[in-house]
Amino acid sequence: MTDLGLRFVRRPGPGGRAANLAALGATAVVALLVTFLIAGSLGLAHRSDRIGWRSADRADPATAIGAIDQTDREKVDGHPMIRLDLATLHQNELPPPPGLDHTPKPGEVFVSPALAKHWSSLSKQYGVERPTGVISDKGLSSPEEFIVIRGVDTLRPDDHPQYVNSWNEDVMDSRMFGLLIAVAFGIVLVLFPILSLVGQAAGVAAKRREHRLAALRLAGATRTQVLWLSSVEQAVLGLAGAVVGLVGYTLLTPFIARIPLGGGRWFVHDITASWWNVLIVLAAVPVLSVISALIGLGRVSITPLGVVRGQTRKATSVLRLGLLVIGPIILAAYGMQAAVVPLLIGIGFAALAVRVMGPWAVQLIGKTLANLANGPVALLAGRRLADDPKGAFRPVAALVLSGFVTGFISVFMPSGDEDSSIQDMRIGVALLLALVFLTVAASTAAGAVGTALDQAAPARALRRSGVPLQVIERSSRLAAVIPVIGVGLPVVGFGALCGLALSGGKVITEGSSGLILLIGQVVVGLALVAAAGTAGSPVLRKASAN
Amino acid sequence: MSFQSPQLTQPQVVLSGHGLVKYYGDVVGLAGVDVAVRSGEALAVMGPSGNGKTTLLHVLAGILTPDQGEVWLGGERVDQLNDAARTVLRRRRLGFVFQDNQLLAELPADENVALPFMVDGLSRRDAIGRARMVLAQVGLAAEAGRRPGELSGGQAQRVAIARALVGEPQAVFADEPTGALDAATGAQVIDLLVGAATHRGAAVVVVTHDNAVAARCHRVLRIVDGRVSESMGANQ
Repeated sequence: MTDLGLRFVRRPGPGGRAANLAALGATAVVALLVTFLIAGSLGLAHRSDRIGWRSADRADPATAIGAIDQTDREKVDGHPMIRLDLATLHQNELPPPPGLDHTPKPGEVFVSPALAKHWSSLSKQYGVERPTGVISDKGLSSPEEFIVIRGVDTLRPDDHPQYVNSWNEDVMDSRMFGLLIAVAFGIVLVLFPILSLVGQAAGVAAKRREHRLAALRLAGATRTQVLWLSSVEQAVLGLAGAVVGLVGYTLLTPFIARIPLGGGRWFVHDITASWWNVLIVLAAVPVLSVISALIGLGRVSITPLGVVRGQTRKATSVLRLGLLVIGPIILAAYGMQAAVVPLLIGIGFAALAVRVMGPWAVQLIGKTLANLANGPVALLAGRRLADDPKGAFRPVAALVLSGFVTGFISVFMPSGDEDSSIQDMRIGVALLLALVFLTVAASTAAGAVGTALDQAAPARALRRSGVPLQVIERSSRLAAVIPVIGVGLPVVGFGALCGLALSGGKVITEGSSGLILLIGQVVVGLALVAAAGTAGSPVLRKASAN
Repeated sequence: MSFQSPQLTQPQVVLSGHGLVKYYGDVVGLAGVDVAVRSGEALAVMGPSGNGKTTLLHVLAGILTPDQGEVWLGGERVDQLNDAARTVLRRRRLGFVFQDNQLLAELPADENVALPFMVDGLSRRDAIGRARMVLAQVGLAAEAGRRPGELSGGQAQRVAIARALVGEPQAVFADEPTGALDAATGAQVIDLLVGAATHRGAAVVVVTHDNAVAARCHRVLRIVDGRVSESMGANQ
């Protein structure tokens, strides 16, 4: 069976090459996103390791070896500059602060390389013509950071200095800590779109694979053998996708480093994937792909005859609707003052509810559409949605979940330009949405290819019988758009409802940024579906040709 | 419902091909085939696999265009029509039955049969009404609301026959229509197809490997290496 699985990868059969390429592309995007989330989180930690000491305040003033006073109110060339005054209270042999070759003595001034270029405008203010030294990368937040570290005799108690017992205190920088919390929320919000993308990658040309494996089952292969064969095939594709994704991330790293989150651009080495990050991706992505594929094949292993003969699938239960209330209740119960974990669980439950009830809603809409249809396009689309709501929802699940993300975030859009945390939040929201939309684009495109391949055989028969290709394409497009509009738009509202549940009914957003976000979501969503239709049409045309 | 094979009095040629040549790259599919089928006549096309039977069916049905030669249907030259016109012609004037019925799995039997009418703009109610009438004629009135997966192989093939006949076609094309059925069911299906189609005055072209199927047609055309090797009455 292993040999047969590998053979299916090498020679995938009619339409298989397009399906494998779509699956590989989608898996590569998953690998790229997972690598980014891990490496980005570690990047925040690396940055914090270099600058955390600046906000340390752990020592008793009576016994502390030094004191620090930090301010960021000054500006140079329009950019905020940090000035850190540093007083040695007791002589010591402790290592100097990170990035400095020695602890500054009173009157000595160390500056960042970026600030050194502007020193002529500061020399008079600091009373030194040239800085004593330049701070190395090991002591900088960002390559473009403006910071001056000045040695002083003493610090006035009125300035409320921080007292330290070491210049290398292991303290988490508060801004980086806030960003890590935001990343945790972001991961929860992007988790389900990513899992949907994994499912989509595994489910491309699902019917084609279902039939092939069902035929093997009918030919005498055991359930275990069929599942093993599928695992081998998916693992190879998953591994190849993981490698492509890692290579893609490596190529993109210099560009990702330019994102000015958390106080400026990043050192490339901060966000370079470590060897164990690479190992995690190489192991996790294929495993997730295999699990997703096996879940999707449950129907084959249980009722192979039903697959071959196209018997009716079991209807999805209305009980799924009950899941919708759990997330908002958890969020409302804890509110914004709660610890992070309960909030993450609440958001996770809400997103899970969207994922689980989506097929039910698609089936309901499909049945209604088919019953009301008076033309072939709506009839075909409606019956297709009602027949396989999970298959219809899978390609757009990421897009629908992105509606949940934007709906949720739209309640919390910050205002103001000066505050660094607000700038971070804005960039973070933009980054989160970029990740989500990348996921959505990959998922929708892979879904369009998979759907086109699945429909090739009946489409070929319809074309031979004189049904114009346009009717088939229009019904496919309608079947793709309906779940997006019929489920996606209510989900945007559900996301906003969850946001309001968390905020206690208050809209934190000021101005029109939330509305712009929602309009952007709708426009991007519809554009992606249109683009996916464009990607799927040539495949359907070719696969259903005479 | 049973049908009597009609007496071929004053039969007109409905479907014909003259000097048909078709290439697939360097491979010859058809090497100059002449064929004519009369109204109410059933023609069986036989021959070894890969020798041009299905190609001939596709060319006569306007699914493929010949590289040389002419195809005529009821006084209209088919091979010179563009793709859109041939699509309309297939939908309105021809009927098709495929080996594995090729019904849409998502649609119940009546909607499968009604679909060509709905594509032509007939209201759903009228299209379904006509579909159910033809389904009743092929003995499937009670199965009209069932989906293909819920029907037996023979029943599904009868739905396919109903779909092929519902538009009162001038010609019906069947490619191995009994290939997936047992002998008894296959005999019933081919009797139904030939009987119902010729009763309506349609020309029938059946591609088959099965001598029993060919015996139920009026005439047999044997294709070898893309050429007609033999043309004879079914019982000869």
